[in-house]
Amino acid sequence: MKALTGKWSFYLNGGLLSVMIALCLYLFQDTVGMNDGMIKISEYAEQTAEQVSDNEDIELPPLQWQTGFLGGIFIGALAASIMSGNWKIRFFQDKESGIISKSLKTVLYGLGGGFLVMLGLQLSGDSFLGQWSGALQLSGGSWIFLVSCFAVASGIAIMMENRGESGGE
Amino acid sequence: MLDGNYRLAAAIFIGIFCGFLLVKSDLAWRKTCLNMFLLKDGRLLKTLLFSLGFGVALIYLLQHLELITVHVRPGYFWASLIGGTISGLGLAFCFRVPITSIAALGAGRLYAFWSIIGMFLAIYFVDVISSMLSSSIYSWSKPINAPQQADAFLSASNPALWVVLLSLIALVFLHFAFNDEAEE
Repeated sequence: MKALTGKWSFYLNGGLLSVMIALCLYLFQDTVGMNDGMIKISEYAEQTAEQVSDNEDIELPPLQWQTGFLGGIFIGALAASIMSGNWKIRFFQDKESGIISKSLKTVLYGLGGGFLVMLGLQLSGDSFLGQWSGALQLSGGSWIFLVSCFAVASGIAIMMENRGESGGE
Repeated sequence: MLDGNYRLAAAIFIGIFCGFLLVKSDLAWRKTCLNMFLLKDGRLLKTLLFSLGFGVALIYLLQHLELITVHVRPGYFWASLIGGTISGLGLAFCFRVPITSIAALGAGRLYAFWSIIGMFLAIYFVDVISSMLSSSIYSWSKPINAPQQADAFLSASNPALWVVLLSLIALVFLHFAFNDEAEE
């Protein structure tokens, strides 16, 4: 029971992450990732917007293996956080005072950061998990992506921390 | 290997496992990712390094046993470099990638929803500028060659061996360099 409620060691986490990627390569014959799932949802949203503007009946979202994976992550995270007592409703990423300031920061950092993360992933051609899977298969493109991504993220995070802008949860 | 509903069911189960793992490994939390990039918390770094070292050896073994084949999307030098730089810039602001955004949302962190909206906007934006991308960054360099597997694992010319060794050395260094604290 403690295995479900407590934290896991990094050996177990790292090992299971690799086993999961290997299992996906075996079962799906593809690099698993959120890229395809989010593109399918994006296409669905575009199609739904057209159906609404044309007063047509709205179709249900596509349940394919990529979107199923996405839904599974949500359910798994929900279950794990409830079991370990970490499930908390949080509207703002920072605990600083001032509702307008933290609202603006949450929206701008979330929207801008998410936009840039996905833009970079789209340019490189795969999701983050897909890039990790590529790195395990010794793909040159994935290694270039991951090294540049971690170097830039770490450099800017340290720079922002020194200026006191990165904030906490 | 799997088709139709079996494929869907397997994807949902693996997704549930992945979500569980993201919370248990603390990858879903913004604060732990922030501390990793600030080089203050070694736990996530150790998780990723161990995954790298163990995963490269595991994939090599499975490929050697012909249980899996290489499945890598075609990579371009400039697209990977520019993409990695832009993603790194975004990560420094939101500390979330697509899977961790969904996991954070599942764990009640509703602010992750803004990141997900930003990600959908990026997909739409790339769709709009796709023709321009084809004639620019994807044409600046040829596709990077698919990875080749060495015949013997314990060979000095095998890159997998070097990745495993360097990961282990980095893990030992991190073990002594960081005092791990539980973050949430």
